[in-house]
Amino acid sequence: MFLALKELKKEKIRSGLIVTMIVLIGYLIFILTSLALGLAQQNTDAINSWGGNRIALNSNSNVDMRQSFLTKDEVGTLSNKESLIGETSIVAKAKSHKQLAAVFVGLKSNEFIYKNIDLDSGRNVKDTHEIVADTAFRLEGYKLGSKVKLNDDKQKFTIVGFTKKAKMNVAPVVYGQLDTWQSLRDITGGPIASAIISKDSKYDNIHKGVKTYDKQQVIDKLPGYQAQTTTFIIMIGFLMVISLIIIAVFLYILTMQKLPNYAVLRVQGIPSKVLVMATIAQSFLLVITGLIVATLLTTATALVIPASVPMAFDIPVLGAVGAGLLVMAMIGGLIPIKSVLSVDPVSVIGG
Amino acid sequence: MNSFSVKNVNQIFGTGTAKVHVLHDVNFEADPGSLSLIMGPSGSGKSTFLTIAGGLLTPTSGTVKVNGISYNERSKKERDALRLDSIGFVLQEYHLLPYLTIADQFKLVDKVKPNGNLSPDELDDVLETLGIKSLLNKYPAELSGGQQQRVAIARALYPNPAIILADEPTAALDSSRVSVVAALLKNLAVKHNKAVVVVTHDARLIESADHLYEMSDGYLSVKEPVNNY
Repeated sequence: MFLALKELKKEKIRSGLIVTMIVLIGYLIFILTSLALGLAQQNTDAINSWGGNRIALNSNSNVDMRQSFLTKDEVGTLSNKESLIGETSIVAKAKSHKQLAAVFVGLKSNEFIYKNIDLDSGRNVKDTHEIVADTAFRLEGYKLGSKVKLNDDKQKFTIVGFTKKAKMNVAPVVYGQLDTWQSLRDITGGPIASAIISKDSKYDNIHKGVKTYDKQQVIDKLPGYQAQTTTFIIMIGFLMVISLIIIAVFLYILTMQKLPNYAVLRVQGIPSKVLVMATIAQSFLLVITGLIVATLLTTATALVIPASVPMAFDIPVLGAVGAGLLVMAMIGGLIPIKSVLSVDPVSVIGG
Repeated sequence: MNSFSVKNVNQIFGTGTAKVHVLHDVNFEADPGSLSLIMGPSGSGKSTFLTIAGGLLTPTSGTVKVNGISYNERSKKERDALRLDSIGFVLQEYHLLPYLTIADQFKLVDKVKPNGNLSPDELDDVLETLGIKSLLNKYPAELSGGQQQRVAIARALYPNPAIILADEPTAALDSSRVSVVAALLKNLAVKHNKAVVVVTHDARLIESADHLYEMSDGYLSVKEPVNNY
């Protein structure tokens, strides 16, 4: 550590440049991770907030809740661990307000999802003309008591409550009654729900034409979700590898320049272990400094980023990403070690 | 017992037609309190001798003993420890670590070998004698070549080794500094009872030597008396 600290102190510009590279890579990875998390959460916030483990859908729906219809016979008998939902895409509009594409989720007031809605303000839905909307509506100027039209339906709905983190497929969710869902889908008297959500991790609907999935299976089939997540994971992975290469190249060049000095130290009996530890400590200090600055920048970004940008700053996840970056950088720092170990002290004897 | 002895050392590099016999049955001894000078032209085998003497190269045949124990009986790690404890190297190319101040060059030795180094007063004396006491807070790049060489000498002396092996220690020094370094090496030998072995072609050091040897085509021979060289 002595040698590493002294070198960083003396070579401020060189160290600063390497740290700057690491800051930029770290900041980019943190922001991309936050974006990936934000987008993933905006795809799944609503589903996760329901607290279900298993989801039963029509077997011909391609694991898509919006394409699923379940009849009364297919639903069968439900326990208090199951909730019905009816889901459909809508466009919400109101006078002097921006139109919003949203997802309508119809619920039954005696079932657990309805009871568990986490209200930010207002109250829960009590009749078919009422809705509870995600707070994205409030950001667009909608208020409690605002009258909203859904699709071409002539009926107006009143916003009686707002709920946070109710998003599905990056669209805000509007909660209403299951009867309203039937009306919006124009299937009154037909199917009674899109899906059965069960808290029971062993729930399995055995009726013909119905298939039961784990929650994650349904999430994975959300349109665009897998492509989005995979893209971000690949980008972050590539950045990790790039950071490894950059650190390795920088440290390799720095170490090569020091080999004649190291050879003299070896002649004098300074053990290779000391020189190896100096190289590892140097890469550790450079990376940890870079990551600290990148974390500060990310924190500053989190404070100023508009709420409409889908970013989520999850400390455990970002911490894991930071640790991953540190590990990759340390692997990069190990590459020049072979040269340090093979330094030939004889090379400095003689003219 | 001699501090340092070399017995029947041969060094052969390469094989077949590329075979080069660099050292021929070299015998050498250095006692504590003496300054031995090995002189010879470039390519005569002086550096190879020094490399073998310092335990950096294992000879093709023969033995090198330090404090009565052969290098062959020591592991690589033990040889490192021996060089750190008992052998001080003064090299032609000084290669001071560029990012350490002169004071830190000595601190590095303290980090690796906390005990047995020169005391602060002793180091002060050495630095004063070499004329580099005022340079402690400077970096090597801020020093002249001669100053760097004197720092390298001080650094080699700092672990307080019993044997000092010097490879052309005065190559970068002017005449006035040569006499200072010669006096310092002589002083180390006599006053501190060290075995000092200097490989050089600098005839200005001859008058300080207790024993004079000549290396020629890999053969080491004694030259006496010193002042007739």
